[in-house]
Amino acid sequence: MNPKNDQIVHIEDVCKIYKAKGSFFGTRKKDVVALDRVSLTIPRGEIFGLVGESGSGKTTLGRLLIGLEETSSGKMFLDGEEVTHLKGKELKRFRRKVQMIFQDPYQSLNPQRSVFDTVSEPLKIHKIGLGSDKYEKARQALQAVGLAPPEDFLHRYPHRLSGGQRQRVAIARAMILNPKFVIADEPTSMLDASISAQIFNILLKMRTDFDVTLLFITHSLAAARYLCDRIAVIYRGNLMEIGPGEEVIGNPIHPYTKALLDAIPKFGQKETVRRHGTLLVRERKGGNGVGCAFFSRCSVAEEGQCSMVKPVLSERGPGHRAACFF
Amino acid sequence: MPLLSVENLTVGYNTKHGSLKAVDRVSFTLKEGESLGFVGESGCGKTTMGMALMGLLPPNGSVREGEILFEGTDLLKLSSEQMRQVRWSEIAMIFQAAMNALNPVQRVGAQVAEAMLVHDDLLKEEAALAKVEELFDLVGIPRDRMLDYPHQYSGGMKQRAIIAMALACNPKLIIADEPTTALDVIVQDQILEEMKQLQKEFNLSIIFISHDISIVADMCHDIGVMYAGQLVEYGPREAVFESPVHPYTKALLASFPTLTGEKTDLAPIPGETPNLVRPPAGCRFCDRCTKPGSTCKTEPPQWVAISEEHKALCCRCK
Repeated sequence: MNPKNDQIVHIEDVCKIYKAKGSFFGTRKKDVVALDRVSLTIPRGEIFGLVGESGSGKTTLGRLLIGLEETSSGKMFLDGEEVTHLKGKELKRFRRKVQMIFQDPYQSLNPQRSVFDTVSEPLKIHKIGLGSDKYEKARQALQAVGLAPPEDFLHRYPHRLSGGQRQRVAIARAMILNPKFVIADEPTSMLDASISAQIFNILLKMRTDFDVTLLFITHSLAAARYLCDRIAVIYRGNLMEIGPGEEVIGNPIHPYTKALLDAIPKFGQKETVRRHGTLLVRERKGGNGVGCAFFSRCSVAEEGQCSMVKPVLSERGPGHRAACFF
Repeated sequence: MPLLSVENLTVGYNTKHGSLKAVDRVSFTLKEGESLGFVGESGCGKTTMGMALMGLLPPNGSVREGEILFEGTDLLKLSSEQMRQVRWSEIAMIFQAAMNALNPVQRVGAQVAEAMLVHDDLLKEEAALAKVEELFDLVGIPRDRMLDYPHQYSGGMKQRAIIAMALACNPKLIIADEPTTALDVIVQDQILEEMKQLQKEFNLSIIFISHDISIVADMCHDIGVMYAGQLVEYGPREAVFESPVHPYTKALLASFPTLTGEKTDLAPIPGETPNLVRPPAGCRFCDRCTKPGSTCKTEPPQWVAISEEHKALCCRCK
C-alpha cells in the first residue's frame, strides 16, 4: 500500500526486538521487545505527541524513524517513500529530510565547536552552499530560534550559553536543512519551567515558519496537551490510546492513560477531583506477555480475556482509538 | 515555639569569579508536623539552603550571617562533632539524585542499618536489622529484598530505600531535595503519597525543595518562592498559588503547562537571571519584570505584608 501524499510519516506493524546475548554458560535471557506492532500515521504539518514512561519504547520509536536503528519487522514510509531498510547514499538523502533534537543540550553540543560550526555542520555534511552562503543560512537559523542578534552568538562556544540558549542552537541545527520531519525527544526535560515555555513556543513557531511536521516525545501529558494536535500513549512498546490531544486528556479511555492522569500532582485543583483509580496497589500475577501489556497493574482487567488476548486499537470516538476491551 | 526558625540566613561561596551570596537573608519558620516547600529555578539557592541547614556546605561555601534555631539551639554555634550528632538523628536529608546515593557494592539492608549503627553506639546489629525490616514495611519494600544490591532495585525502590534511611534514626525534620525528579509520574505519585502518610504517622516536619511547582503545591502547607538567592514570596499554599502577588511568582505560574482549564498560551519569562557576583542594586527581578516601578532598579525592595502570613519582597505589591 502506498500511503497518501498528505501523510508525512506512516508506519505499519513496526516491531523492535533487542536480542539478549546468550551467556557463557548457555543460559539464554529473554529478548526485549521494545516496540510491539506499532502502527501510526502523522499527517503533514501536525505536531504529534508520544507520551510514555521511561522504558516504554518512545525513544526507540524516535530512533527508528530517524534511521539510527533498524526495525526488526514492519514497514516505515516517509513522505510517500518506503524507508524501512535504507543504506548508504539513500540513507544520507533520507537524513536531509529528517532531523532530531535531543534531550540534553549539555551533551548534544560539541564543546569544542563554535555555534557557527555546530549550526552549519549539516550543510557541510550534505555539501550545500558556499562559505558566505553557509554564514547567511546559519544567521537566519539563529534568528528564527530567537537568538538575536545572531552575530553575537555565531562565534560563541557552548560554555558561554545557558541551557535554554543551547537547546535553541540545537533547534537551529535541526532546522537549517529545512527538514520535512523533526523529532524532538524530551527537549525540555533538563530545563527550568520558564525556559521550557520558551522552547515550546519556538517549536510552535517552527511549524508555521518552516512548514515542518513534528514528533514530540515526552513523559509529560501537560506539555503534550499544550503543544500537540494529537497524542498517543505508549506503554511497554504498545500503543494504548491515540487521539486528539484534548480528547485523550479530557476523555481518557484506556486505564493506563487514566492512571497517568491520576498520578500528576493536582496543581491548582481542589482535592475533590475524582481519581479514576485504575492502577492496582499491588501488581497481580499472571501477566504472561500474551495478553494486554497493562494487565498486571490494571484494576478493571478481567482474568481470561485480558490476560490471554492482546486488545487492538479500536475506534471510540472521532479519531480517538484505544486498545482495551472495556 | 516553632521546630525550626531561620533568621537572615546568608550563605556565600568563593568562586574564581569572585565571592557571591547564593542565599541572601532568608528567614522562615517551620512548625512541628508541617511542611514547607521551596520552589525556584536552577541556581536560585534552594539546594544551598538545604545544605546549610544540614551543615554540609562544600569547602568553598560558608554561612556568612544569620541563625538557624532548631528547637531553640543555634545549629551554627555547634561544634562539628555536636552537629554530627544532630545530623541524621534530628535532621535527615533525602538528597537530589538519590538513585546514585546508595553504595553499589553493599547490600541495601546493611546500608540502612549502618545509618543507625553509626548514631547509636549501644545498638546491636541484630536489633538494627530488625528495625530495617520495620522500615522496609513502612516504605513498602518487600522484606526479602533487604539482601539485594542497589542495581537489583528499580528507581522507585531505590528512592524508597533512601527514604527508609532518612527515617532510620527517627528524625524530627526531613529535608527532601528534589526527591522524585528522576522518577516516572506514577512512581512519583506513589512516593509522594507515601511521604504524606509517613508525615502524618510520625508527625514529621518536612522541608521540600523542588523546581516543580505542582509537586510543592501538592505536598506543602507553606510555600517559599526563591529567586536569585532571595526569598521573594512566602505564605500558605492557597495564598501563594491562588493569589500570587510577586511578579516572579506570577510569571513562574504562567510558564507552567497544566492539564485542566482553558488551554492558554504559556508565557516564558524573558531574559536571564542576574549574575550574583555583582547583584543589581535594586530588585533582582527588575530586568525581567513586566511592570517595573521607577525606583525598582536602584532601591532594594522591602517586604510587604499582604496578610498576616502572606508576604512578598516587592515595592509594587502593596
